[in-house]
Amino acid sequence: MDEKIKTPLIRLSKRSQSSLSPAAAWLIRLGSILLALLLGCLVVAITGNNPIKAYGTMISGSLGSKVYFQQTVKKAIPLLGCALAIAPCFKMRFWNIGAEGQITAGALAATFVARTLGAKLPSLPLLLIMAAAAILGGGLWGLIPGFFKAKWNTNETLFTLMMNYIIIGVVAWLQAGPWEARQGRIAQFDAAAQLPRVAGIHCGWIIVLLLVLFIHVYMRHTKQGYEIAVIGDSIRTAQYAGMNVGRIMMRTMFLSGAISGLVGFIIVAGANHTLAHDVAGGVGFTSITVAWLSQLNAFAMIAISMMLGVLTKGADTLQTVMNIPAAISDIIIGLLLFCMLGCEFFINYQIIFRHKAGKGGAEK
Amino acid sequence: MKKILAFVLCLALVAALFAGCSDSKTPDEGGKGNAETIKVGLICIGDENDQGYTYNFIRGRDAATEALKAKGINVEWVTKWNIGEDSSCEDANIELAEAGCKLIINNSFGFEDYMLKVAPNYPDIQFVSCTNQASWGDELPNTHNAFASIYEGRYLAGIVAGMKLQELIDKGEIKAEEAVIGYVGAFPFAEVKSGYTAYFLGARSVCPSVTMKVQFVNSWSNATEESNAASALCDAGCKLISQHADNSSPATTAQSKGAFFTSYNNDMISVAPAACLVGTRIDWSIYFTEIIEAVAGGKEFPQDWCKGLADGAVVLTELNKDIIAPGTEEKLAEVEAKLKDGSLQVFDTKTFTVGGQELTQAFALDSDGDFVPDKEEAVYDGAFHESTVQSAPYFAIDIDGITLLN
Repeated sequence: MDEKIKTPLIRLSKRSQSSLSPAAAWLIRLGSILLALLLGCLVVAITGNNPIKAYGTMISGSLGSKVYFQQTVKKAIPLLGCALAIAPCFKMRFWNIGAEGQITAGALAATFVARTLGAKLPSLPLLLIMAAAAILGGGLWGLIPGFFKAKWNTNETLFTLMMNYIIIGVVAWLQAGPWEARQGRIAQFDAAAQLPRVAGIHCGWIIVLLLVLFIHVYMRHTKQGYEIAVIGDSIRTAQYAGMNVGRIMMRTMFLSGAISGLVGFIIVAGANHTLAHDVAGGVGFTSITVAWLSQLNAFAMIAISMMLGVLTKGADTLQTVMNIPAAISDIIIGLLLFCMLGCEFFINYQIIFRHKAGKGGAEK
Repeated sequence: MKKILAFVLCLALVAALFAGCSDSKTPDEGGKGNAETIKVGLICIGDENDQGYTYNFIRGRDAATEALKAKGINVEWVTKWNIGEDSSCEDANIELAEAGCKLIINNSFGFEDYMLKVAPNYPDIQFVSCTNQASWGDELPNTHNAFASIYEGRYLAGIVAGMKLQELIDKGEIKAEEAVIGYVGAFPFAEVKSGYTAYFLGARSVCPSVTMKVQFVNSWSNATEESNAASALCDAGCKLISQHADNSSPATTAQSKGAFFTSYNNDMISVAPAACLVGTRIDWSIYFTEIIEAVAGGKEFPQDWCKGLADGAVVLTELNKDIIAPGTEEKLAEVEAKLKDGSLQVFDTKTFTVGGQELTQAFALDSDGDFVPDKEEAVYDGAFHESTVQSAPYFAIDIDGITLLN
């Protein structure tokens, strides 16, 4: 302490695992949300509106009535499903950012079945075949980058990202070409190819809730889930333990793509009843945020995806009711996500100010 | 450490609360009370920031509100912005219906499928799909279509363009065969083909040597592609650019390439003052005023609606007097009068040929769902009659003098 080393005013140091109680960690998370809401207040105030009223509108516009609530759930369904899909990959530290494309591939496969068998089969078998096709389509689209990673150690981030554009391009071509019905749009599906509604919302919500259970059990209580966790921590350890890392990667990517594909099926058969090149609509990317905020915990994903549903539906109402531009809502949502993701930094690191570091040494 | 963080957060909370409260002022929500108020929903694919398609609807909305106020009808608009052509449009229709709207207007072509899923559940609410064609002929009495005969406006804009090109020829700045118009089209659909053909015929009526090249961008709204197409057309020798897509980027591109320009949806003189001669747009307030008045009075209104120049539903935007050819205004006044009284037909079959032949026969509508017209003869009395059997355009014929580049 006697050495004259100039300590910086603020230093960061990694917290040891035990130094922060779970309660304190949650306090930081709560604080970050508050901070985000306050920053959002400023943004709304700049537009000349009352921030408290704006937040009130967002909440009432997303949860305030049955119709609003149904829409909010409808927005949350694909986010939840897709977050579940990418969770195993991220646990493995395999950066699959190709969920957008895997959703599209699944939707494409389901649409193909709906178009070829639509009028020939009763509803239930038709929907099951569509789902199976979507699982296969999404799975294969995910398997390709998994295969290249396993065989030649290609960069999965770039590979999965580029795969998105390919399949979106394929759908854009079908939409304006061979499958076009009227002015660049594919015809609506037969009634038999549409998911039935339960409680006013297409039954995709039941499917994704079942998926929550599946992923929870798969990740926590199966050998395959354990293998994924080991690879995520250390590939070398996994190899030493005799695991076939390449095989596990391909298997996990197939699973991830398959679930994304199923989400694609839910979107086309449940919500849109047709296919368009923007069928995924950014879900594949937003769900990364959902997965990350939930710390890859399947149950937490339900809450986080609902929160994003509330935010997007609320933002939509904000523009309708208070005429606050969509861009401002995007800023508020961005701030919230930024603060929530950013606060993990303060949970993992602590800030040390100079005088505290000095511990009665230097000046004062 | 925790204490400091907590303290900072508390401080920020208090500060921002004060900032929030002091800056905020509760906006007065519309003038409630006097006279009757009718709630109308409007679902838009974009928002006013597009300065084109949706902006034009908002202008119509606001003008209709004023016009109706003068008639003692207060309109409370509920506007949904940035709605996708997917199930979110279905949700928007449900939401507006549940919110008590008596009339719900969908502004984009791709909304109709989703609107038609909702309409049967709300037989007392009137649903309108603008620019589309599946609602008027269906079995539902509460679904409607509307368009305006924008081809008339394009014909007039074409005259402004043609006069400019003729002026350049007369001054010797370009040769007669160099009078080439470049047209940035969205899709090779009837709506677009009808538009550029009318535009071309307008131009050729005052500049006989003119020809046209059309480049499709296969999107209604893609600023970059539209700009690229305009650029390619200029490079291919086009001296004047026009467009049927949503953005103003072709205007700025034309200006930077030294070409002239005429716009659609909005006056684009402000973005390209040295290039933009004039523009044409649909004035939706005419339609909105008419149907809201009907709904407010408990009356029915037509399931398919199309009006044009004569009723003010199609208008030219301000002429750019600094650069238009001399005599343009007089010529416009003359042609406008003829269009209004019906003595001039835009698609007069004596003014164009198809494969070297005069057009004698063309169907307007498709009855069996294969998207090839097979009923309702449109050619009679020496002209192709556009937008008479239905409001959505159906002139989809490739005439001589226009080259499609893709």
